[in-house]
Amino acid sequence: MTKLTRRQTLGLIGGTAALAATPLIAKPAYANTSIKVGALRFTSHAASFVAFERGYFADAGLDVEFEFFQAAQPMALAIASGDADYAVTAISGALVSLAERGATKVIGGALSEEQGIDGQKIVASNAAFADGVTSPAALAGRTWAVTQAGSSFHYMGSKISGAEGVEVEFQPLQGVGNIIGALRSDQVDAWSIVPHIAKPLAAGGAINIIGDVADYLPNYQVTTVFTSTANAAEERAKTEAFLAAFARGAADFNAALVDKTEGEDGAEEMVQLIHNYVYTDRELDAARPAIVNGAMRINEGAALNTTSVEDQLNWFKSEGLVDQAASMENLVDTSYVDTM
Amino acid sequence: MADTTHHSLGAQTERTAAGADKPHSAGEANTTVRYRGGGFRTHSIFWVGPVVFVVLIAVWEWGTQTGFISNLTLPKPSDVLGTFGELWRTGTLFEHLIPSLTRFAVGSAMGCLAGVIIGVMIGLFSHVRAGLVPVVAAIFPIPKIALLPLFIIWFGIGEGSKYALIALGTFTPMVVATYGAVDNVDRTLIRMGQSFSLSWASIVRKIVLPGAMPGIFSGLRVSLAIGIILLVAAEMLGARRGIGAYILEAGSLYDLERLFAGVIILSALGVVVNFVLGLIEDRVLRWRS
Repeated sequence: MTKLTRRQTLGLIGGTAALAATPLIAKPAYANTSIKVGALRFTSHAASFVAFERGYFADAGLDVEFEFFQAAQPMALAIASGDADYAVTAISGALVSLAERGATKVIGGALSEEQGIDGQKIVASNAAFADGVTSPAALAGRTWAVTQAGSSFHYMGSKISGAEGVEVEFQPLQGVGNIIGALRSDQVDAWSIVPHIAKPLAAGGAINIIGDVADYLPNYQVTTVFTSTANAAEERAKTEAFLAAFARGAADFNAALVDKTEGEDGAEEMVQLIHNYVYTDRELDAARPAIVNGAMRINEGAALNTTSVEDQLNWFKSEGLVDQAASMENLVDTSYVDTM
Repeated sequence: MADTTHHSLGAQTERTAAGADKPHSAGEANTTVRYRGGGFRTHSIFWVGPVVFVVLIAVWEWGTQTGFISNLTLPKPSDVLGTFGELWRTGTLFEHLIPSLTRFAVGSAMGCLAGVIIGVMIGLFSHVRAGLVPVVAAIFPIPKIALLPLFIIWFGIGEGSKYALIALGTFTPMVVATYGAVDNVDRTLIRMGQSFSLSWASIVRKIVLPGAMPGIFSGLRVSLAIGIILLVAAEMLGARRGIGAYILEAGSLYDLERLFAGVIILSALGVVVNFVLGLIEDRVLRWRS
């Protein structure tokens, strides 16, 4: 039997630690490359689900595995740490900071606000509504719920109150669940949220819809497709393949639920497909209205509205949430998709 | 084996042996045998601690300057210092520190005071012990952070829920430490008091409480550290100002410089609390020395 001396054992431990610390070398993209895609269980992430279920990822030679998250911020961190390859989420302060540090890049656009299509809603608690907050203009001195500083809710609240010329106080509550609880118990006054959450709550009498985000932020690029800087710079084939498959999924989704050109059957088929991922704890019949209500346009060809992205970046800077030197060049790689 | 012979043959042989090895010392008469006891004893070397800190920070600064440690992994210590300086200059430091200190002081004062009172009662009265020990054991392992949304409904999103969270978090360890301390008071001292016909109240006041003090103080150290930890949790919901809110905001923005500056403030707070507690302890426990 081989006996290890104490010194050998220590050497072995040291060696293993050094090996473990060596950064993993990125694998080149071949056919049947396996990639991890970060997603939230939201209807707004449907393009990835459609591309997966209808085999568009497989056609592009990608073997996709979904990594599910609870919020946008950990997803940005997972991309930076290499635990996920591609993800779709709102532009947050963390995403900008990570891009400045050379870890992440926005490569395409997904969900957009569009006037005429039911988008995100501005809502008020019952107490605030009864007290006269029936439109965003009456928000002066009220509290506005956000998950965290620098989240999309913070951006929307700031832009909406700015447009109305009123001051609101932001209340960080960490999670969407906490915010809904606080609104129900009248602890905060107002919030903005995607329609599939706003509408059922309003229908149940828990909150009141007082406006549309699209009226204040037309063409707001709500979510973007992003990846690590290494993927964007060095894995061109793989990234292009992902975006192409994602865009096919987005096109199917828009046709079935946003433009409704596929008829009743097409819409129903789409709802069933999405139900495999979203509201899985509810019966299909209970989930159907929420999925249909949550359908907002996902940009054709994953095109990116750089005007909106730049506006968001400038807002982060003006609020002192990110480094003043943060630039569009570090945040966005425009070489992949059309820009608007 | 050689060692044993050495010892058993005594000093005379050892001297000869030494003389044989090193001829130049052969002439010395009465060579003193080195005292081989001692060692394994700790003594304080005041300069080592700071040197370790300085070396660690120097390596860290060098690593981040040269890019050996990427800016994604750790911030530059000099940048953290810069952020701290900015906090100081703009007065933002106190804007965050004062609400946090108030929450910490009010919350932990409520929790610790209630904890000591309940703990002493458990220590003294068997009925209270039988009734409350299981309750405390049931409350202790509950992660207080999980109750935060509930506290918001009960006490409101303002300061009330924050005080309640810190108070509950410091209360349970304080109860356990206090009744443990009361239980450990020397029984012979109590018997002595009884044989001198001291009244019950007198025994409690003059023997039990002073005897339990060292245990209560070590409980306070633990509870107050938990209070500082809970400060961050308490400021998760509905707080724009406070060190905890500052750290959480920095974390959600992935702003490492601010994150580290905030964490250092909390560490410093821990050191200060411990120091103040040490001073009080020295005063209260003067009778020990």
